[in-house]
This record gives sequence, structure tokens and C-alpha cells, in this order.
Amino acid sequence: MEMESSNPPKIVCFMCNWAFCEEEMRVPYNVNIIRVMCVGRMDPALVLETFINGADGILLVGCKPPDCHFVDGNLHAERAVKMLKKLLALAGLEPERLKLLLVSPLEYKGFSHYAKEFSEEVWKLGNSPLGKEELLANLTAAKEAASAFRLRVLLGREEELTEFMNAYGVKISEEEFNALLDDVVRAEFIRYKIHYLTRVKPRSVKELAQILGIKPSAVLRHMTNMRRKGMIALDHVEGYTPLYKALEVR
Amino acid sequence: MPLTEKPLQEVRKLPPCRATCPAHVNVQAYVALIQRGKFKEAVEVIRRDMPFPAICGRVCFSPCEDACARVNLDQAVAIRALKRLVADIEREQGRVVAEPVPKKYSEKVAIIGAGPAGLTAAYELAKLGYPVTVFERMAEPGGMMRYCIPDFRLEKFVVANEIAYIKDIGVKIKTGVEFGKDITIESLKRDGYKAIFFAIGTQLGMKLNVPGEDLEGVINAVDFLRAIALGKKIIIGERVAVIGGGNTAIDAARTVKKLGAKEVMILYRRSREEMPALPHEVELAEKDGIKFYFLVAPKQIIGENGRVKAVECLRMRLGEPDESGRRRPIPIAFSEHQYEVDMVIPALGQMVETSVLPPELISKEKRGPPLQVDPLTLETNIPGVFAGGDVATGPASIIEAVGAGKRAAVSIHRYLRGEDLRKDREEEKIEETTWVKDWRLLEKKERRYDAPIEKPHLSFEEAREYLEKLKRQARFEAFRCLGCGPCAECLASMGLCEGDKAVVDEGKCVGCNVCAVICPVGAIKKNEKGVAQVNEELCKGCGLCAARCPEQAITMKKLSNEQILTMVLTALER
Repeated sequence: MEMESSNPPKIVCFMCNWAFCEEEMRVPYNVNIIRVMCVGRMDPALVLETFINGADGILLVGCKPPDCHFVDGNLHAERAVKMLKKLLALAGLEPERLKLLLVSPLEYKGFSHYAKEFSEEVWKLGNSPLGKEELLANLTAAKEAASAFRLRVLLGREEELTEFMNAYGVKISEEEFNALLDDVVRAEFIRYKIHYLTRVKPRSVKELAQILGIKPSAVLRHMTNMRRKGMIALDHVEGYTPLYKALEVR
Repeated sequence: MPLTEKPLQEVRKLPPCRATCPAHVNVQAYVALIQRGKFKEAVEVIRRDMPFPAICGRVCFSPCEDACARVNLDQAVAIRALKRLVADIEREQGRVVAEPVPKKYSEKVAIIGAGPAGLTAAYELAKLGYPVTVFERMAEPGGMMRYCIPDFRLEKFVVANEIAYIKDIGVKIKTGVEFGKDITIESLKRDGYKAIFFAIGTQLGMKLNVPGEDLEGVINAVDFLRAIALGKKIIIGERVAVIGGGNTAIDAARTVKKLGAKEVMILYRRSREEMPALPHEVELAEKDGIKFYFLVAPKQIIGENGRVKAVECLRMRLGEPDESGRRRPIPIAFSEHQYEVDMVIPALGQMVETSVLPPELISKEKRGPPLQVDPLTLETNIPGVFAGGDVATGPASIIEAVGAGKRAAVSIHRYLRGEDLRKDREEEKIEETTWVKDWRLLEKKERRYDAPIEKPHLSFEEAREYLEKLKRQARFEAFRCLGCGPCAECLASMGLCEGDKAVVDEGKCVGCNVCAVICPVGAIKKNEKGVAQVNEELCKGCGLCAARCPEQAITMKKLSNEQILTMVLTALER
């Protein structure tokens, strides 16, 4: 993530198999194209993993609705990107580093145009304001949140919940769903951040609250939840302060 | 093995376009290749199923487009125009020369008639490794494609190119050899031919059966078109009446108009809706200034000094539908009227030239086709002798003849290998399928694509730009394909798509059903254990389920998350 201002940013582009053909692939050398069957195939956790591995920007390229080869793969990608941007913002990385590009084959200007444009956008953002350590911690927490059941099931059910109805026969509006997604993304991110921090060494609630910048009561609430799920356990007590340690998940 | 290379017997469910096509050309595969800009590979895929991409791209009646599921949205994908474009692009840098196929078997096969059916059978058998010889009566091979379809619809060099390709892979074509005169079944057997395929087509034009048919100026459409193709001089009348409503009638009328006739009229005994000619062709004929008179049938041709002077017609009305499904024309009494013409071209259809056929093949029954063959295996009553194409079915289309040629090739191969001819025939097993569950995400749109008919005169630079534009248009048109069938794996052999399948880890699956909802093709269902199960035949390998599975229980066989990550790491190391 540490980028010399003179060096172009490292861009990884996940491209739908059907979007562009090879002849249009004259792209800047800092843009690496990886073909996948559909943009919707991009696992959110995989996108975050790519950021962890040092990509400065990620471009997802798919087909413009309604032309997806798999009916609504591009819409699935849109939903994933919405969630990923929330996670990135929480992790302290500019959400603009992730871009979803849905293009129709008729109106394209050639892929190189879009690749250059995105590369320049990322270049302007420069280095991440966060230190290397903290960013890694945040991104790992975000990645783990994105690989866990709660966020994934919410993402997988979005269409069902907002367009049809949930198990109780209630239809959720788009705003309600977004508010719900906000809450869950935030909670999951904090929990996995706590998990990450307590993995390094046992920590107290107060210490965690300080690092996370939230109220100790909020941390405690999350930790109660995590203890119930078997994510953390009491390690030992120092004086009067209980210290917690992360447990292996799965 | 990619699905495209699998024998059809193993592929049960086909998209509507491929299921409808008599030759079962893998439409979905080549359209997908066009989508990716792989034009040359697209032609290769077409050639796996039939040898005439450029010919069918021009004159096929495209039953695939009628079956296309996209019709529910806006319009069918312009499959025929796409086929024509890729075939033309392939020829851009000269004719493609094929590698000869090595001879695997020693049994010689004789094919009588170098029309679409005979040539396809020869092509398929040569691909299997048989030494095949095609005998043709005319000076040039091609049959009706060469001699009956006028140049403005199907250029002669296109036919020649496609036949040259068939010759390349090892088919011998002997022209100027007439069956019954130069060769017989006995002589062929003496020369060591183990199987014979009759594909002589229907060469005789049907007669009008009205008085005055022998007058000067009356020439049958088939004879007329053949004479023009042979370059013979024919006196063209000023006012010409073409009788009939099929494609041959339209072809004859347009040809005679282009040759200088002042007024050309088509007389048809039914109405426009019942015309067997392609609507597109009828439109073009109207553009050429040809007049149409419907519900009229000739009663007699009136002559003067031995030449045609007029044609006397009766008006008709339409009665009940007959066995062909069209309404039967009934003459109206005392409705005689005359059209002043000096040339009459009857185009009422064609029939088998029975004098050419060996007498033991001709059926004894008066009704029905003169040649009785098994509709599935194309066997005749003589073992080792097969017949197919127009000669068995009556005049039909090129693509149906190609289908018959393919069926004959399978039968001959099985016959020569001593296998059961009837067992597991692919034709019996084809099931049509389309996965598209609902159309709510797709809005109605008006789009129409067709390959340009007229070539503009362009400079070298302009021509290159023009071609780029055409290619782009074609890719966009191909993009409209919904890919109804199960995975075509068309790109797998090109290394562009992995031909991937989803795999469920049953230990991890909790049965949340997210994958089943997300799967665009409905390939995932929960089984009785409450665990998701993937139907591999339907799975297209998009990986949407793998990206969403809450327990990460689904992985892709080939392009798994780990594989993508490895690709990311190598990319970032650069």
C-alpha cells in the first residue's frame, strides 16, 4: 500500500469473461487483468484479500444491465460493491479505490480508456493515510467479516428480502435494508477487529475501547456476543481487570 | 471433454436454436465466440457440425431464429447474419485450406449427387476416416446450390470455396459421371464400394398440366435457372409471368427481371400468408418491382404462331386447410381473365427424376414419394444403399439436406462397422431447454441487426474501418444471446473459459438455500438431506454461488478462490 508518488499505482482488474476481447486489451502496464466468469463471481473476501496483498486499486468490470450473461450477475456485483465500500470506509481506506464498471459492448471506448482513467484516479489518492500495521489489522478484520456467515447471508439474501419477502412474510424496503446492512457491517467489522487485536495478545475492554475509539460499554456488548459465539474467552485477570484472548474460529 | 466435442447422443438438453436446426449446429457456442471476438474459432465450431457456413449464412431459412428464446423479449438474435459475417471474415485473407484427414478405414463409400446432402455425408464420412468418392452428373459440384440459386443470392465462388474445403479434407469428387449411364450399383460394388448414398435431389420441375404448356416461351423455373447458371442464352420476354409462390418462383422472377424483362408478375393461387417463400425474399422481390397477383391459377396458356401470347387464369377462394396446413384454393367458376405475357415460368415445385434411379429402389405404391427410405436411418430396401435429402423428402431446404447427410453418414458408419443402426440415435433424444426463468430484469428493446447486403465502394483505409464497425456490430448482436442451453463450453477449448462446475462441500453446507436462489440457471437444489446439490449438466460455472455461500461450502472445480488469489499474487509481484 505504500506507494512512491513517482510510481504508478498497482491496479488489479477483475474482468468478466464476456466483457471485452483481447484486441481491446492495450492497457497500462500497472493494470493487471484477471479474467473471471462473471463479475458477480468475485467473492467480497477475495477483493479485500487483494487489497491486503498490496493492490492500490481494484477495478471490477462487468456487463451493463440487462446484458449479463448470467441474468443478474452484475447486480450481485453491485450489491457486493455497496457492502465492500462500507467495509473499506470503516477500515480507513478510501472507498474510491474500488470501482465497479458496467459497460455495454456498443458504447465502449475501448478498455484502455477506462483503465487509464481509474489508474489516474487512484494515483491522485496517493498513499493510504493509515500506517501499514493499522491498515493490515483493519483490512484483515474487514476480510474476516466478509468471509463470515452473517454478512454473507445478508448479502446473498438481499434480492430475496427487498424484492420478495422474508421468512415472516414481510417485505423490507431498500432503505430499511441499507440501514440493516450498515448496522451489521459495522458490528461485524468491530467484532473481527477485536478478534484480530486479541489474537496478538490478551487485552482488556478498556484497552480495546481506546484502540477502537468507541465507548467501553459498546465494546463490552460486542464481547458478550462474541463470547457466546465462542470467538473469544477470558484469558486471565490482571489486578481487577479481566483480559480476553481470541479463540480459533472454525 | 468440452461439450461441443461430445457426440450429440450424450448431450441431452439443447438450446431451442440447436434443437430446431435440422443439422443441430451448435449455435450457442459460435455466438458465444463471436461475443468474445473470436471469429475464426466461431467458423471452426460451425464446421464441426456442417461444411457450409458461408452458404447457410446467405440462404438458410434459419429455423434457429424462429425458435430463439429472445423473441419473448424483443427480437431473435440474427443468427444467420452472424454466421454469414464470420464466414466472410474468415475468407478475408483468402480461402482457408483444411488439413487432409488421414484414412482410418479401408471401406470405400460412393455418394451419388454432389448437392448439400451428398457433400455433407461425404464431409462427415471423410472426417471419420473413410475414403469417399462423390459422383456428379453436372460439370460442377454443388447441386441446386450451384445451379438453382441465382448469383445475387449466393455467389458461385462461395459455393466453390466451401466445396474446395470439403475436397481438402480428402473427399474425391468426380464430375460428369451420370448414374445409370456411366455407373450402376453393380459397377460400383465391383469397384469395391461398400456403401452407396443416393442424394440426387429433385431435379425435374413439376408441370402445370394445362393446355399450351409446350408453346415456345414456356420454360420451367428449374430449367430456366439452370440454363442461366450454365451461361446458356435464353430469349427473355418483355412481360413475364412466374407461376408459384415458393423461393424458386421468387428467384426466377428476380433473375428474369435483372436480365431485362420489363414487367414481371408472380401468379400465386393462395394468398400472401400461405406463400412458402421467405418473407424477406418477397420483400426484396417487391423492391425489385415485381408484381404479385394472389388467388389466381392458370387455366390455359394461349399461344399465337407457336409462341406464348397470354395466360388465362381463374380466380380462387380459400377453403378448408388441407394436409399441409394451408388453406386449399377453390376455383371460382366463370372468373376467367387473361394476362398478356410473352414468357411463362412455371415454378410449382420439383420432383424426383425417377428414370435415373435403379428400378428396384422405386416403390410400387402410386401415392407417396417414389423412393421409400427409413426416415430415421435412411436405409433403402437394398442393404448398403442409403438415400436421403430432397430425393427422399421432396423438395426442402439446404439445411434439411445437410441434416439428412449427417444422418446418412452416421448410418453408413454404423453399417460398415457392423453396429446397430437404430440404437441410441441422437435424433430421438433431443430435448429442448431454456433456463431463463423470468424476464423481469430485462426490458423490452427494439433492435435489429442484419449483415449488409450491398457492399459499399470504399478506399483501403475506409474499408478497414468499415470492417471494424461490422465486427463490433456483430459482437453486440451476439451479446444479445441469452445462452439458453446448458453450458456450451464453447470457450473452454480456446482456453478462455474453464468449463467450470460448482462443487458443494457437504460437510460445510448448512442448507441456507442462498445458492439455490442465486443460481441463474437453477442448477442447485436442496436434496432430501437438506444439502445443496449441483446439477452438473445445467451448471454454467459462473461461480455466483461460490461468491455468496455464507459457509464458503461451494468451491469451483477449476477457477476456485485460491486459484484467483494465486493469479492476484503473481500479478502483483510483477
